[in-house]
Amino acid sequence: MIGRRRLLAGVLAAAAAAPACRRPTTDARGRTVLRFWHSMGGRNRGVLLDVIARFHAAQDAVVVEPVYQGDYFETLAKLRTAVAAGAAPALSHVVAEVMPYLAAANTLEPLDALRDLDLVGALAQSGAFRGERPMLGVPFNRSTPIAYRNGELFEREGLRPPATWSDLRDAARALTRPGVRWGYEAPIAWWFWVALVAQAGADVWGSASAPTLGGEAGVRALRFWQELVHRDKAMRPPPGRDYDAWNATNQDFLAGRAACVWTSTAYLRYLEENAKFPVVAAPLPRDVRAGVPTGGTFFVVLRHAPDAEKAAAARFLRFVCEPENAAQLAERTGYLPITDGAVKRLSDSGFFAKHPNDVVAQKQLADVAPWPWEKELFRVERDIVDPLLEEAVLLDRDAGEVLARARAAAARPA
Amino acid sequence: MRARSPVHPWLMLGPSLLVWAAFIVAPLAATAVASTFAWDMLTPPAYVGGANYEALFATGELGRILARTLGFSVLVVAGAMALGLGLALLLERPGRVFAVARGAVFSAYVVSWVAVALLWVLLLDPDLGPIARLFRAVGLRPGFLTQPSSALPTLAAITVWKITGYAMIVFLAGLKSVPPSLYEAAALDGAGVFRRFLHVTWPSLRPTAAFVATTSLVVSFQAFDVVRITTQGGPARATTLFVYAIYEQIFLNLAVGRASALAVVYFVVLTLVAGLQLRAFRARGER
Repeated sequence: MIGRRRLLAGVLAAAAAAPACRRPTTDARGRTVLRFWHSMGGRNRGVLLDVIARFHAAQDAVVVEPVYQGDYFETLAKLRTAVAAGAAPALSHVVAEVMPYLAAANTLEPLDALRDLDLVGALAQSGAFRGERPMLGVPFNRSTPIAYRNGELFEREGLRPPATWSDLRDAARALTRPGVRWGYEAPIAWWFWVALVAQAGADVWGSASAPTLGGEAGVRALRFWQELVHRDKAMRPPPGRDYDAWNATNQDFLAGRAACVWTSTAYLRYLEENAKFPVVAAPLPRDVRAGVPTGGTFFVVLRHAPDAEKAAAARFLRFVCEPENAAQLAERTGYLPITDGAVKRLSDSGFFAKHPNDVVAQKQLADVAPWPWEKELFRVERDIVDPLLEEAVLLDRDAGEVLARARAAAARPA
Repeated sequence: MRARSPVHPWLMLGPSLLVWAAFIVAPLAATAVASTFAWDMLTPPAYVGGANYEALFATGELGRILARTLGFSVLVVAGAMALGLGLALLLERPGRVFAVARGAVFSAYVVSWVAVALLWVLLLDPDLGPIARLFRAVGLRPGFLTQPSSALPTLAAITVWKITGYAMIVFLAGLKSVPPSLYEAAALDGAGVFRRFLHVTWPSLRPTAAFVATTSLVVSFQAFDVVRITTQGGPARATTLFVYAIYEQIFLNLAVGRASALAVVYFVVLTLVAGLQLRAFRARGER
């Protein structure tokens, strides 16, 4: 069996593994070199690089080598291949939903030595997932979905922030001008659908080992979008896949082609700074209850890395979690502050009072629906549910039949 | 000619056979073996026999990918041949204007696929693209790359646009090889333009047409860059062609077994199509 694995991995791995074997752990000045693969693009990359620059200024024992590897999913694909090849960096950051899989594959280094960090409960591993287990990730750029409204249009129409699904449908219909503007837009993606499922009163996994995909609540969530797109003609399913659709949503909002959009808190500063109208954030509406998943990523340390690099990674993570640094990451991006110290700092400095949009996601943390710690969670999300959501909404397929197909696919081996 | 020793032909073929075995046969065999395992590169592989193939058939995914790819191929081959031949006939004239026109048509072929795909993404953007604006001006709102029903034909049209220049050049070369005396004889017999094309040009161009059809077919089966840049296989998987589906399974889902099963089926389909084409070629030669 091992021979076959080597045969299959050999060709893919050889080129990457060879230089990795020769890679020194220290630089010419004797500093530990910490390779860090990240996915921070655009303006947020500058914020990350500033934190790294401050880390370098604060000490002279560790030098961080950040390498941009594409969006979350591209970075993850490269990371998984690099792990198989023994060429992965010591530090990276991954979306929350893939952590159970990476843990089951025995690729993550336990970080229990960092348990003393004052992490925000709902954003830490213990709050973002159900159940207790060794700490394997430190929150980095964490977010929730929120609603962004075009303040000018809402005021002109005399509309209040939609508090329920029914309010949202009414507002979307009222704000839609065929051929000019959609009332509502959200990427047809797992994260936003999971939010709808939580609001409809269910979880995507239930308590058993197989995914329920929310049962009847999952169907209702999907039908909600179908109604808005096909019957009300008040929602635009943005073109493109993955983050192309997210970008299209942002551009439609900024250009006034969408009056209200759902997207991540990550875009808060970007949208505020680029909109020609007041951007007003609001919590997602409720159906039978309020509910949102958390998103964004966790720092992870790769188990195979040399001990010196693991220690360097722990040192860097402690630095990132210092109140000033964690506060800056949140303040300059829109991501949630990851430590209690950072929240207090932002509160004491009057930041929250001056930026009420930033308070919205803070308050939503009370309604977080934690993820199940399931090895198959990420495969079900990416391989099965995401493509079927797009098919169901764009082609107006029977929501119950589509989700039944998804459950059947989830039961098959990968 | 007889070899002095039966070993000699094998000695001559040896180096080529070794390279062929190392780079073609061995990877194919490894892929076939991998297709019987469920493996993600990180956790130990599990033998699943034909389950990967079964899953592809049971979900109907394989049939859909195959139908899409063949549909795309038909559009690309027919489009590239018709346009290539039409342009060759139109532009086979002396003079600078026609030379510039021929150069302009061929220029798309030498541009990289990524640049071509990006160009068309911008042109067809449903909100900001100039083509979409033109359609909106007359009250139409076509989805082009954003509607499941129009995405595949649009992708085929982009591919045809890119490779038509090549088809045209090959047809132009074919036209040069038709003896002028045949046209003169046909004209003396009273044949008009259409009949001259039907009875002189087209029969002479048949081998050229077969070559253009084969190369266009290969291009259409290998389509990847254009899918990756323009649609990433969407919307609603409407443009998930064979090579992109394999890429998706291996590089995005790390489903080595499923990707290998797809690659094996791809190999079988290509072998069948190539076999059919070869047979058609030979049948024509024998006539």
